[in-house]
Amino acid sequence: MKSFTYKITDPVGIHARPAGLLAKAAKASGSKVTIEANGKSADASKLIALMGLGIKCGQEIVVSIDGGDEANAVDVLEKFFKDNL
Amino acid sequence: MDYGLVAKKIYENIGGKENLVSAAHCATRLRLVIADNDKCDSKAVEDIDGVKGVFFASGQLQIILGTGTVNKVYDEFIKVSGVSAATKEEVKQAANAKQNVFKRAIKTLGDIFVPIIPAIVASGFLMGIMEALNFMVNNNFIQLDTTSSVYVFAKLFSNVAYVFLPILIAYSAAKVFGGNPFLGAVIGMIMIHPDLQNAWTVASEGVKVTQSVWFGLYSIDLIGYQGHVIPVIIAVWVMCFIEKRLHKIVPEMFDLFVTPLVSVFVTGYLTYSIIGPVFVFIENHIIDGIQALIALPLGIGSFVMGALYAPTVVAGIHHMYTVIDVGQLARYGVTYWLPLASAANVGQGAATLAVALKTKQTRTKSMALPSAFSAFMGITEPAIFGVNLRYFKPFICGCAGGACGALFASVTQLGATGTGVTGIFGILLCLSAPVKYITMFAISAVVAFVLTWLFGYKDEVPAEKKETVKETVKEEAPVAEPQDMTIYAPLTGNVIAREAIPDETFASGVLGDGVGIEPEVGEVVAPYDGEISSVTDTRHAVGITGPGEMELLIHVGIDTVQMNGDGFELFVKEGDKVKKGQKLIAFDIDKIKAAGFSATTAVLLTNSDDYSAFKVEKTGKTNKMEKIISIEK
Repeated sequence: MKSFTYKITDPVGIHARPAGLLAKAAKASGSKVTIEANGKSADASKLIALMGLGIKCGQEIVVSIDGGDEANAVDVLEKFFKDNL
Repeated sequence: MDYGLVAKKIYENIGGKENLVSAAHCATRLRLVIADNDKCDSKAVEDIDGVKGVFFASGQLQIILGTGTVNKVYDEFIKVSGVSAATKEEVKQAANAKQNVFKRAIKTLGDIFVPIIPAIVASGFLMGIMEALNFMVNNNFIQLDTTSSVYVFAKLFSNVAYVFLPILIAYSAAKVFGGNPFLGAVIGMIMIHPDLQNAWTVASEGVKVTQSVWFGLYSIDLIGYQGHVIPVIIAVWVMCFIEKRLHKIVPEMFDLFVTPLVSVFVTGYLTYSIIGPVFVFIENHIIDGIQALIALPLGIGSFVMGALYAPTVVAGIHHMYTVIDVGQLARYGVTYWLPLASAANVGQGAATLAVALKTKQTRTKSMALPSAFSAFMGITEPAIFGVNLRYFKPFICGCAGGACGALFASVTQLGATGTGVTGIFGILLCLSAPVKYITMFAISAVVAFVLTWLFGYKDEVPAEKKETVKETVKEEAPVAEPQDMTIYAPLTGNVIAREAIPDETFASGVLGDGVGIEPEVGEVVAPYDGEISSVTDTRHAVGITGPGEMELLIHVGIDTVQMNGDGFELFVKEGDKVKKGQKLIAFDIDKIKAAGFSATTAVLLTNSDDYSAFKVEKTGKTNKMEKIISIEK
């Protein structure tokens, strides 16, 4: 399992639009991607669960990647967060 | 990821080859049908690297592997397991499939008949009355002015829907089978062309004209299909099959001319040269069989036949029964067949009546009640096809009632002095033994009614559900089948296509397929029975998981996250179980507009990729709890 932390810069946090993009990216990665924040965690491929975390701008989150091509998935997702969130 | 390894590991943990019935996959999941779930180590499967989740649902072991992965694992899985090679289990599966075909056939019959019901219920009722009146007038039971315009027109109009029933059936069937309904109607018309001998006259007059077919190979009887149902449906199915294929191969320029011509001609030819003769052959043997059956002593034959009468109506053999009536009248001076037919018809009517009285759904009631009465007058099509066969159990209960009535009639030697009317007015043919006839009627009716009442019918929505739904939906008690994959409108307003939602993210479908609703009332209710899977602190969006793992996002307004909850009130929390129609969110439309946002609410199925079909049922002005989307796995 690999993980990294990220500080959200998107003004609305992980809400509908960015959450949808993230869910797509997580699904496409082929790995199990989990997001932890606010003491809760959610499967990143599940849009509704992601939105349920209520992650806001400026918050630190932990992204864990498990299974599949982890090394590649970490790179892809890190880039995704920087570009979109 | 090593797909082969994942496939092999899955295969090792599902209880061996004997335990595997079939394998399939959807966008994200490997779906395995397992003979014995206990032999399957789902925990171990879950631990396999690459497997994201495992669960049993809809009789399948579903293994979540993810988009892009699942198809590769599936290919490897087929290789390792050799599931496509014939196994014992496939035979078993074939047996299951057969049962499903039967169920599907019943459902198809229902789908075809329900739209026709308005045309045949009232006229069936009227036809029963007119036939009885006509009989009474002809036999001098009553004096009536049969030349009055009301009488003449009522007689003329009442049987039209039945005389031309094959056309109605053909039109409806073509719609169900996805063909052109007008071409379907043409097939129906061909089958009852007025130049052909009417099927009802064959019993009394014999076959008048034959026609050589297939260049002299053999000859067929040139007879219409009046009173038939099944051959019409088969013919239309054939037509749709041909039509759909022709649409694909015929160049568009000739499509309008060639496709209808070929599909109608080929279907018509096949119908008269093959379907017809096969049915005549089967019919003749069945009639012979019935003659032998009713000759059995002690009422056994009558009992069996009383039960089988309604199924023969479904098959369309009943138009041949005049043969039996006429034969018996010539031989014994009375017919023992007519009371049997009467008992069977009354049984079906009573079963329908039980459904009518038991159901709380207005639609079913309004259909079942007149159907029951028209069956009591001997016109059973609406009752059988519109109600009893659809729920199936009432049909069986009706047959049981018919069997008991027929048994009584046979044991007491109840005979009728003529033919032509059954049901209530059939008593006119049994005036020598009216008490026996009434008793027979009562036995059929009571047996069928009581059986149906006790075992044969249950509303698909339990009645108590209405009370448990919160008072907020009192005005609209939702009616639906259980476990249906339907999304009901969570808001009252104008339903628009997903693409028309004024927000690129929602409109693009990246969050899943769905619709937008321009709300008229600031209230969101649950679109189905389910569980709240997520809420937001800003109270403007809610996620809800429902039947078949549907995950629906209801997002009130565009960019309304920026309102930070102002103007929104949330009535549920994460993990709450909710009932369809229960209030979830209240919001202030004016406040949203005042803040400069659109109030258009996105209703999106976030996992729409997981389903094979997603259909928007309604757009435009819609009340909450109206059906807006249906899903298929």
